[in-house]
Amino acid sequence: MTEPTNPLRTQIVTRLLALGFSKEQIVETKAARSCYGYDATRQNIEPLLALLPENELQVKTILKLATEKGLKIFPRGAGSGMSGGSIPSHDGIIVSLTKMKRILEIDEENMIATVEPGVITGELQEVVSRLGLFYPPDPASLAFSTIGGNVTENAGGPRAVKYGVTGNFVMGLEAYLVNGEKIKCGNKCIKSVSGYDLTSLLVGSEGTLAIITKILLKLLPAPEAVKTSLLAFKSMTGAAHAVNAMLKHQINPSTIEFLDHHSINAVRSALPFTLPDETDTVLLVEIDGPKALVESQSLKLNELFKDEALLLIAARDENEREQLWLARRKLSPAIANIAPHKINEDIAVPLGAIPEVISRLESLSQEINLPIVCFGHAGDGNIHVNVMLDKNDPDQAERGQKAINKIFSITLELGGTLSGEHGIGNTKSAYFDKEWGPVTIATMQAIKKAFDPDNRLNPGKIFPT
Amino acid sequence: MTITPLTIEEELKKCVKCGACMAVCPIYRQTGREEMVARGKLNLIEIIRNNEELPPAWIEAVDHCLLCCSCEENCSKGVKITEIIAAARNHQTEIIGLNPIKKGAFALLKNRILSLARVVKLGSLLQWLLWQKLPNHSGLVRRFTLPGIDSKTVIPALPLKNLDDLLKRRQPVPELQPILFFSGCATRFLHPQIGLDLIFVLEQLGFNAITPKKFNCCGMVTWGAGDKSTNRELQASNLKVLNDNAHIKEVVTGCASCGHALKEYDNLPEDCEILDISELLFRHREKLEQLVGSRQITQKITYHDPCHLSKGQEVTKEPRWLLKLIAGDNFIEMRHPERCCGAGGTFGLTHKEISREILKEKTDDCDATGAEIVTSGCPGCILQLTEGAVVSKSSWQAEHPITLLAELLRSK
Ligand SMILES: Cc1cc2nc3c(=O)[nH]c(=O)nc-3n(C[C@H](O)[C@H](O)[C@H](O)COP(=O)(O)OP(=O)(O)OC[C@H]3O[C@@H](n4cnc5c(N)ncnc54)[C@H](O)[C@@H]3O)c2cc1C
Ligand code: SF4
Ligand code: SF4
Repeated sequence: MTEPTNPLRTQIVTRLLALGFSKEQIVETKAARSCYGYDATRQNIEPLLALLPENELQVKTILKLATEKGLKIFPRGAGSGMSGGSIPSHDGIIVSLTKMKRILEIDEENMIATVEPGVITGELQEVVSRLGLFYPPDPASLAFSTIGGNVTENAGGPRAVKYGVTGNFVMGLEAYLVNGEKIKCGNKCIKSVSGYDLTSLLVGSEGTLAIITKILLKLLPAPEAVKTSLLAFKSMTGAAHAVNAMLKHQINPSTIEFLDHHSINAVRSALPFTLPDETDTVLLVEIDGPKALVESQSLKLNELFKDEALLLIAARDENEREQLWLARRKLSPAIANIAPHKINEDIAVPLGAIPEVISRLESLSQEINLPIVCFGHAGDGNIHVNVMLDKNDPDQAERGQKAINKIFSITLELGGTLSGEHGIGNTKSAYFDKEWGPVTIATMQAIKKAFDPDNRLNPGKIFPT
Repeated sequence: MTITPLTIEEELKKCVKCGACMAVCPIYRQTGREEMVARGKLNLIEIIRNNEELPPAWIEAVDHCLLCCSCEENCSKGVKITEIIAAARNHQTEIIGLNPIKKGAFALLKNRILSLARVVKLGSLLQWLLWQKLPNHSGLVRRFTLPGIDSKTVIPALPLKNLDDLLKRRQPVPELQPILFFSGCATRFLHPQIGLDLIFVLEQLGFNAITPKKFNCCGMVTWGAGDKSTNRELQASNLKVLNDNAHIKEVVTGCASCGHALKEYDNLPEDCEILDISELLFRHREKLEQLVGSRQITQKITYHDPCHLSKGQEVTKEPRWLLKLIAGDNFIEMRHPERCCGAGGTFGLTHKEISREILKEKTDDCDATGAEIVTSGCPGCILQLTEGAVVSKSSWQAEHPITLLAELLRSK
């Protein structure tokens, strides 16, 4: 692993040390750099350097220096991305925001938290909950992903059906353009319509427009109670009708997760309760809010579906709640037993199209002769589609690739989108022009150019290359 | 605890780089460095393996691990991370050799535990020259510089008599059901009272604790240091004792690390069952509930999950059942009871700074409960927590749950 010294790297390191960076903030050796070249997509490209700024001025210093040298910059949060958003190039600099992790203020009067981008989502939730407050966005990675990463991927989780995704909670931002100049957008006002909404533009921008250094997040009062129920249905259509009926009857669940029959078969034996044999689809429904309301809505849920559902279990305490959630939590390891590898996509479709998507994916599964396991968020149309295969078998690998193309086509035909949660990054950029026409893409590219004229900030992401 | 190179390769492949280990790794929490978290360590071990020249980043990453199993318990892919790290350390010792201090200490372990006993005893006589006593009998701090040990280390006052000495006066109770008691080095030499308390509780329950002097160190420290050959020898000598006593099926220990190590032994005698003391007590809960009756501890107590018990052996409910039994509502949970205390075998001695930072968060969580006693089913954690209480000037003291139970049973 001894590598020849790179004069550029040495130069930058010397400059940064002179500018007050400590050795711990500079990741220089090849071995150490390789630990900043991956995310959850398992690509690994070690960058020229990885830097860990501790405050915004250091971010600015890095950006100014990189501009002087014409270097590429790749922002990185926890590196838990599922679309390769933080993957660098060999000649680029990783700017890891993980050391900027202070919660700067919790304004209880206005119910707004001001945080640095490296704050771990779950830790913010824990801190605000001690004050009786609530930050709802709940990506499954909340225990380790950063708020900055959540904002730039516009991450969301099961609670999106009632509360929305990360973007719905971002009131304002401070960010640095690639040239080291600072922009501010948004504020603490609930109504705010002065000029273009740059906050919304930066949300979901996948680190391609600016490096976010400060975030204002809306908080809510913590719900008093939460009740979880599990419902089993004979068909996906039945389950989809049920979701629709809930919403029409003013039941307002915070979560409606579904498992298709492949998922059910995979976890069935690990569950502490018995599912009827005819079960095709399971819904996991959670209702939260004031105690009395939660009780009355749960009763209504029971009334509505006691005949239609094959099984309806309502958790009576935390322990039972945990048992019902097991169905969902055991899922990922359980489906891994179906085949050694999986290709997973996180498409989203309008609610009404869920049964159609599932049935067309079922036909596709038969056509390509590979199992396709679907589960996800029935309340918001976001479906995790998993094509199960053995990638070491070239034939299966080819059929898998074909499946991905078809999955995207089906999704788009039904008015859906390539990604509900994980973003485009570099793993889905090749399909981007399937979703958007040339004019739309050109408009997006013009925006990119306005922020980053030399394409030095997170190049190679979102847009087809 | 044996893993062949082929399975290491397979284990490494299982890691999908999801990053979930970041949520729980105490070292990552303090350093914020990707190389230090399991994902980064595995990446380094995967890309640089059959390499004679190990880069400093590799050595540092492999060295900075508490073997606390937190990552392993949290990994949805079930990657055997601690096995991989132990194997990497073994690889490193083969290339670079063992750190000389560990080498000396392990030679003592190997060349019979009894010589270790002699050294500890000599230490207990000389300690007053080298170390300064702290208030509350909590321990000692160093008077002079000593090579290899950080000046801020707090050590317990070494008892003049070890468990073996104390047991010489024990009245045998052959009419009771025999059970093997594996005390472990820390209980044997540093905290013999825990051993006496445990034996007393066993007798109350109808068990006669058999305490073979030939039991050696469980091997956890040598495994963790990558000293495969010493570990193998220690295992073999303990297996011999277990086989010689194969008519006794149950082996009980009060040390989380020993229990974890023993449960992982290959070739345990058939039907031999290793049990943490809390597991054994839980099995006999009806009897114990009768014995305790209406007596209850009046002090507020809390509980710290030893990593090697909670994550290593998945034993979390039994100690809590016990504490509720003896303390009722005086038992309060701390925030994050599962978080490592930073001891990690010898890690606390060799990496004082990080270990202290981890410990500080733990003692803050302990302080926040307002408890007077912090319990933990591991002599290693008790040592570390005692140091923490001294450093953070906390008013609680650290005890083994068995000590509290024994005191309660002895009380009128
Ligand atoms: C097991 C697992 C479960 C997951 N579950 C979900 C889920 O339920 N819902 C969901 O939405 N996602 C999920 N994800 C995906 C991922 O966790 C999210 O996309 C998350 O928001 C990424 O955050 P991060 O801190 O890891 O960012 P990274 O992966 O490091 O970066 C993500 C992108 O953000 C950019 N970026 C990061 N910080 C900044 C900043 N301060 N300024 C500018 N750009 C920045 C990077 O350049 C990159 O493009 C999951 C991932 C895993 C591994
Ligand atoms: S949690 Fe397991 S699979 Fe995920 S990165 Fe860590 S070691 Fe790898
Ligand atoms: S065993 Fe503990 S210290 Fe070591 S990598 Fe895993 S979580 Fe970190």
